[in-house]
Formats: sequence, structure tokens, C-alpha cells
Amino acid sequence: MPTSHRPGRRRWLATTLFWIYSAAYAAFVLAAAFWTFHGGEPVGGLALPAFAGLSVAVVAGFGLIAGAFVLAMLYAVCGSHDEAETPGAHR
Amino acid sequence: MIYHASTLSIAVFAAFVASVLVLSFWLASRAKSASGYFAAHGHVGWFVNGIAFAGDYLSAASFLGICGMIAFYGYDGFLYSIGYLSGWIVALFVIAEPVKKLGKFTLADALNAKFDSRAIKLVAAISTLVISLFYLVPQMVGAGALVKPLLGLPHWAGVVMVGATVTVIVATGGMVSTTWVQFIKGTLLVIICAFVVGLILQRGFSVPQVAIESSEVQTIMKGTTGTIVNGEILSPENQLDSKLRWKHGVGFGSVAVLPGGAISTGPLGPLAYIKTFSESTITTWRKGSDASGATTFTPVQRTGKDLLLPGSSPTFKGVRSDSLFAKLDFLSLMLALFLGTASLPHILIRYYTVKDAAAARKSTVVGIGAIGIFYMLTLYLGIGAMTSGALDPTDSNMSAPLLAQTFGQGIFAVISAVAFTTVLGTVSGLIMAGAGAVAHDLIKDYFAIKLTDLQQVRAGKLAAIGLGAAAIVLGIFFEKMNVTFLVGWAFNVAASANLPALVMLLFWKRTTKAGVISAMSVGLLASLAWILASADTLEKVFGYSAIDATASALVPFSQPAIVTVPLGFVVLITVSLLGKRPQVVHGDRGG
Repeated sequence: MPTSHRPGRRRWLATTLFWIYSAAYAAFVLAAAFWTFHGGEPVGGLALPAFAGLSVAVVAGFGLIAGAFVLAMLYAVCGSHDEAETPGAHR
Repeated sequence: MIYHASTLSIAVFAAFVASVLVLSFWLASRAKSASGYFAAHGHVGWFVNGIAFAGDYLSAASFLGICGMIAFYGYDGFLYSIGYLSGWIVALFVIAEPVKKLGKFTLADALNAKFDSRAIKLVAAISTLVISLFYLVPQMVGAGALVKPLLGLPHWAGVVMVGATVTVIVATGGMVSTTWVQFIKGTLLVIICAFVVGLILQRGFSVPQVAIESSEVQTIMKGTTGTIVNGEILSPENQLDSKLRWKHGVGFGSVAVLPGGAISTGPLGPLAYIKTFSESTITTWRKGSDASGATTFTPVQRTGKDLLLPGSSPTFKGVRSDSLFAKLDFLSLMLALFLGTASLPHILIRYYTVKDAAAARKSTVVGIGAIGIFYMLTLYLGIGAMTSGALDPTDSNMSAPLLAQTFGQGIFAVISAVAFTTVLGTVSGLIMAGAGAVAHDLIKDYFAIKLTDLQQVRAGKLAAIGLGAAAIVLGIFFEKMNVTFLVGWAFNVAASANLPALVMLLFWKRTTKAGVISAMSVGLLASLAWILASADTLEKVFGYSAIDATASALVPFSQPAIVTVPLGFVVLITVSLLGKRPQVVHGDRGG
């Protein structure tokens, strides 16, 4: 999603990170709704084992929370190079 | 007996309230102008604002509601944690910087920056008030639930105390004192919860030596003679004690079988804790009723592995159903959580308290960090409560404080005080948003009543007092409702009414005034109408049985966002294309 009021590189970064995270969130939610249960019984999706004895549900849940912070930090660090923009400037 | 009011609890609680009130009066001198009162002069530092975001956002629904839901149903409560946190991605990458540049004091300022329209001001103010009221109710209900064990007072007393304290905070120092209360609350909440999780991991799991609860069905009857608990009439004198005087006088929630038949695990690391829980068998309690109509609580043994999957609770049961509508209900709620955060008025106004877009961005990152840590902790707090032997099966909202009580009265006192600050911080933000909508958007801009700076501040303070009184009445009226469920409504309405207009205004040059007004009105009314006509509302608000509610509902599922958010976009695009090209009146748009 393009964002106004930002210089091009940061706008591109925000767009990319937004869609990456949205895709991960959508995959998680769709997996919960359509691929985890059949006839009320767990058959796959979030019920599958991931690693260290944890299920995909637990790993994906923590991953989405931690991933949001990682992407936010990435945006903050990479975007700081564009900080010299004129206050109030638009594209 | 589960609940104990202790002197230490009362002392911690009183000390916190006193310090918050002193702080508010001390900061009142910085809020004498409209800019100071509504936006703290835009001088709040980005780090303080980021933690204040956490203090604003981590409401009673997050702390009491999610912990309680995990304690009762497992992973379903964690779904709320994931959804609430994910919404900040929309805030950071889409909304934060443009909104900071467009707005001044309120959501309406940003939406109206391009058009200078009184109608937009009106619709945005109504939207702000409706969303804030939906959000307020669960906070006030949570406050009432807290003072019961903390001070031994009835529900209404807690609601009145919170309402009065918050009204003083907002009416004295406005956004300045609200910010600092939220900063303190956000800091305390994350630190104390991390400490409690440390204690949970240190304790590990153990199987109770006497598993007396496992085969007992508990009954509560409400008849003409009053409430009867396990055949014993509840008298006014012993109400607090005997309500929870279950057979054998113990609390609930325990591990039935540990891996390898162990009795105790000892201290566990974070991953080992979840893994051990997953491989254990847990005694949970299912609410039902017997032939006489009495409420019953029946022990049900479930595997930890099953509890760590979604779909155990009434809210998310659709995940395990083969019904498409049930799955759409789940998808709709998760969509509302994702899109609703960036549309909540009390969150958006925090962007006006920092100096520029860069500070808005940095504060959002700090907020995501603090909020993310807290939401990770909720899974441990919930599982800790589920296996603590201290649950009150009649009240999920008390799970976290009752868990704390198992670590001693000192921890319980601190957790209860922190939970109380949780309510104070969020309610202050909501009343601040509402006061801005009334004084700035409605009185000054929509009704075009000329106000001096001082008069505008005075109007804001009077609005805060009115909203505080309304919050008290609503908190008492909705005592029996689950707090998390109500917050879900707020997210649905916010996403439906505000998000399409905000996004299209920022990113589509063809957006017109009529398009914004239509989209907001349709989104607001459609989401409210959908909620009112839903089975959830018929059951939880109007008292229908589950079967009657499903049969009488006018909509196929209860959460509207998956229909009403796209509807808002369609309405805005259609109306904008049918109208004249927009004429920019003023404002810094850049879309």
C-alpha cells in the first residue's frame, strides 16, 4: 500500500513490509479456519508439530508477535536514513 | 474461600490512586490551553509516547480478559493477543505518519483536513463517541470486578471509584496527565507481568496431592429464595465467602497428569514450560445447567495439546466447525482486530502529542515492542492461572489476580493495583478522545460556537465529567458481560466506520467529501446494525438461549467486519466517482 508524505525509499519499505506481514497474518488466520480441523478433529495446519515439541499454532503465534517488532525495527533503522526530509513535505 | 481483602492490598491500591491524583493536579498547570489540554502541546517525547501507547492500548480486556480466556479455554485467548498486536502493523506502515501530519487534536481533524466540512466533523465525532463507549464498558466492568477481591466492596463501588478517579485525571491535566498515567501504567504492567511469569516458570507444574475436585459437579441455583451454592443458601452476611465456598473449599484449575506420571516438574524454561503443558492432561471446567435450571460446573479432562489449539471457546468455536458461516465469523473477528487498532480514536489522538512524523513512527515502534512483550507473557499468565488451583469458574476476568494470590498477598496486592492502573490508563484515553470529540469537533466546529482557547478547555473538561458519569452508569449496567467480547465490537465498529475513510483519504486523490461522509455513516450504521441483529447480541445482551438466539438472528454470523469494511470502501469509491472531483480547501494531504 503506497503511503503519502514519505520519501520514496521509505514509502517502498513501508509498502513491502506491510504486505509481507499481512500475508503472514492472512496465512495464519486461513490455516486456523480451513486447514487445522476437519469434522472437529485436528488434521493439520496449526495442529502440526513445528520444533522443540511445540505446535505450529504456538510457534506461529509467537512468530507473528515477534515478527511485528522485527519489521518495525527494520523500518525504524532503514527509514532513519531518510530522516532529513523537510518537515511537512509531500510527495 | 477464594477472595481475601488484605490491608496490604488496600495500602498499595490507595497509594497508587493518591499518587496518580497528585500527579494530575501537579500537571494541571501545563494544560491550560487547548493545545496543552487536548495534545500536551505536542511536546511528549517519542519514547514516553511509545510506552503511553502501551498504557493506552493494554486495557482490561487485554490484561483481565485475555488472561481469563486463556485460563478457561487455552489458545483462544492468545488469538486475541496475536490479533491485537498485529493491528499495530497497519498503524505503523499505513496510518501513523500521515495522520500526524494531517491532524491537530482529534480523528475528525485528520479526516477533515482536506475538506473543511462540518458534516465530516459530525460523523467523525459520533463515530468517536460510539467506539469510545463500546470500549469504555468493558473497562468499567473490569474495574468493578477488581475491587471485589481487593477491597471486599461490591461491583458498583469499583466502577464509581474508577469513574471518579479518571474524571479527575482528565478534567485536571487533560492529555498531559493522561499521558503520564498511561506511561506509568504501561511500564508497571509489563514489568510486573514479566516478574509474575518468572515466578510461574520457577514454580513449574505439579499435580495436586489430593485431586478432590476432579469428580465433583458444582451447582449454583438462583431462585425466589436467593442464590444457592451447592445446596447452601447464600446470605448477605457471608456472600463473598460462600459464593465461592465450593465443595471442599478449594479453587479450581489443575494439572491432572504430567508427562511420565511425574508429580512435579520443578523450574522450567519458557519453551519447556509450553512443551510440558502440551504433553500434560489438564482439568478444566465446563459451564452448563441441570434439569432444574441451576448452573453447573463440570470437570472435564483435556490434553494440553488440544488446549493449545484454537476453537475451544464460544467466541472461536467456529474454527472447529465445518460450517462456512462459523468460519466466516472467526475470519471477520480476526480482520477486525487487524484493521481496528489503527482506527481507534483514543489511539490515533496519541499521534498528536509528539512533535513530528518521525517521532510518531519511533513511538509506534516502541509501543509495538512493549505491547508485544506483554502479549507474549499472556500465554504464560493464562496457562499459569489454568493450572494454579485458584480459578473462580464463575468469573474468568479474575484469573490473573487469583493467580497472583497463589504467590502471596504481596504479589496479589501489586497485581491488583496494576490491574487497577490498567483500567485507569485506558479509560483516561477513552474519555480524553470523547472529550475532544464533544468540545472540539461538535461544539466548536460542527455547531460553530465561537470559543476562546480557555473556553474550549473548559468545554473539554465538562465533557470529560459527563463522559465519566456515563461510563459509571454503563459499567454498573453491564456487570455480567465478558470484557473481551465487548472490545471485539469496538474493533469491528472502528474498522468499519473509520478505516475506509482514513485509508482512501490518504491514498486516493479522487476521494470526495461526500464519499468520506457516506463511507463513515454506512460503515458505522451497518456494523452497529449487524451487531444488534446478531446471535451473540441476542444471547449475551438480551438473554436469549443459544438456540433461540441462533434461530432469531437476522445475520448469518456475529462479527460484521468482513462485510462492513469492504462495504465502506465500495461506498466511498462509488460516491466519490459519482460526484464532482474534490476541491482542496486547505490542508496538507499529499495523497
